[in-house]
Amino acid sequence: MDLSILPQTIAQGVLVGSTYGLIGLSMGLMYSVSGAISLAQGHMVSMSMYLVLSLYTGLQLDPYVSVAITLPVLALAGAALYWFLIRPLSGNAIMVFQASLGLMFLIENVLLMIYGGQFHQVPSIVSNRFITFGDAMIMKLPLLIGFGVTGALAGILFVTLEYTDYGRSMRAVHQNERSAALVGVNVQKVRLWVFAMSGAVIAIAGVLLVPSTPLHPAEGLKYTLVGLMPLVLAGMSNFFGILLSGVIIGLAEAIGTVYISGAIGLSLPYIIFILILIFRPHGLFKGH
Amino acid sequence: MMTEHNVMRVMGVAATIVAVGVAGWFLPDYYLGIAVKALIYIGLAVAWNLIGGFAGQLSLGHSVFIAIGALLPSALLLKEGVNFWAGMAIAAIVSALLGAVISWIAFRFRLGHLYFALITLAFAELGWFVIIGTEYLGGASGFFLASGPMNLARFEFATTQQYFVVAFMAVLAAIGLSAWIFHSKLGYYLRAIRNNEDAAQAIGINLLACKVVVMVISAALSSVIGSIYARFSGFVDPNLFASPLIIIEIVLFTAIGGIGTVWGPVVGAGLLVPLGEVLRGHLGNALPGLHLAIYGFLIVIVILVMPGGITRGVASIRKALQGLFTKSRSDVPA
Repeated sequence: MDLSILPQTIAQGVLVGSTYGLIGLSMGLMYSVSGAISLAQGHMVSMSMYLVLSLYTGLQLDPYVSVAITLPVLALAGAALYWFLIRPLSGNAIMVFQASLGLMFLIENVLLMIYGGQFHQVPSIVSNRFITFGDAMIMKLPLLIGFGVTGALAGILFVTLEYTDYGRSMRAVHQNERSAALVGVNVQKVRLWVFAMSGAVIAIAGVLLVPSTPLHPAEGLKYTLVGLMPLVLAGMSNFFGILLSGVIIGLAEAIGTVYISGAIGLSLPYIIFILILIFRPHGLFKGH
Repeated sequence: MMTEHNVMRVMGVAATIVAVGVAGWFLPDYYLGIAVKALIYIGLAVAWNLIGGFAGQLSLGHSVFIAIGALLPSALLLKEGVNFWAGMAIAAIVSALLGAVISWIAFRFRLGHLYFALITLAFAELGWFVIIGTEYLGGASGFFLASGPMNLARFEFATTQQYFVVAFMAVLAAIGLSAWIFHSKLGYYLRAIRNNEDAAQAIGINLLACKVVVMVISAALSSVIGSIYARFSGFVDPNLFASPLIIIEIVLFTAIGGIGTVWGPVVGAGLLVPLGEVLRGHLGNALPGLHLAIYGFLIVIVILVMPGGITRGVASIRKALQGLFTKSRSDVPA
């Protein structure tokens, strides 16, 4: 065991994990207002990454610039997901769950049709920039940017939820839909907005992943899983818990790949996830 | 009146079975192969429906049981010379034990349906990594199962017709088991649990025991059908048998047919597997992914139009038509 690379492994895990937390956050937002989960969220991440690729090949846009386009597009996709899938199924979680499995097939194979089955890479001007801390730690700049953005988003979310009318009506819908409607909250509108927000978070996660990850149509399920685990660990709708649990999963992944060889190393995040659930079945944090 | 209805029903089922059997015998080899595949998926869907439909616990971890059923007997046969029947039994026992452990972890606390789906999906992914990383189970490359002339004692078959008969019999047994559970005390308990866990617990149903028992049965059955599938495929590919995609497909077949009914998984897999194969046959070469994209689109549409699945959709249409007729009759002035 080479302990000299431990600080770097930990930093890598924290930074990658913050992106996983974002995917979990997009699911948590969706769950908090509708009680339903779409398993196609990871495929939406793939979709946003491929959109970044197209903007790069077509218009030479750097990934961090193209977010200005992918963010509204994915927000629209999130709203469409609510309007055309979740609303007609009246939020029946089991039906939505099943329909989202069909959606997974649809998105994955449309991506396969358009972009083919080979791996793609989108370079960014910061892709190969590194920042050194002391002697031992060298970090990729894209990962640091990702971590910073996640932190900033968490801050914005906190302020929105706690101090704005918009955040209050969102919490009201989460706690009791009927009472919220009684006191004049437009439940459907709140849901539509939160789904759009969930799509926007996906767009950000996609952009943050692109510079350090190769693209492939079949990667969607992996993103769904790394988002689901933090979601479950945080008890489904504790947003800060989700971001923190994302870091735990990212850490488990980084440590597993660096220090443990073979199948056990690759599956360390899943093992940690299951162990936590055995000992703390209600998740790591108490929900609100 | 009811018995007359039941007699008609039994005769209808018997006629369908005979028709399927006869049609299967005379189909050309390519289509018969599709029919065998459809039968295997019907078996897998029926097995999944026991826990996913009857008990309403959407397990996405069944790919692990299917993979054990496919890979373990193959490994035992090729590496230790263990008879395939014995291997099938060992795999079924291993799957049942694993099913008990997974369901115990997930059901110890009552955490809701979605929660179970998410946890089992993590198990499915974990199982895939472990299987691909285990050399004894074929690793990432899987096994070739050579098959000589038909030999029942070694569970070897030569022609597609023979596989058709085997798969058909296995599916009949699976449907029989499923129908029996559906009408048994356990079946009523499971539906009570699915519809309202609090009420079920209040009338004294042991939630944990019921769920674990049905999970064990479902896991063992999935494993056995997985073994048959492995024998039929010849090439036991972990990317097919152990990938979470196989269970996602099975959940979709069941959902489209009618989740939680005896005949739903049969109708769903029976329609969608041939459809998928035909789409692949016609479009697969034109543009990779097109057939699966169409497939996914159709699935979403069917769930939106008939949320309860085709069997329930057809039943409600029939009811509506009957209502129409009785209404028109009552409209006639006396």
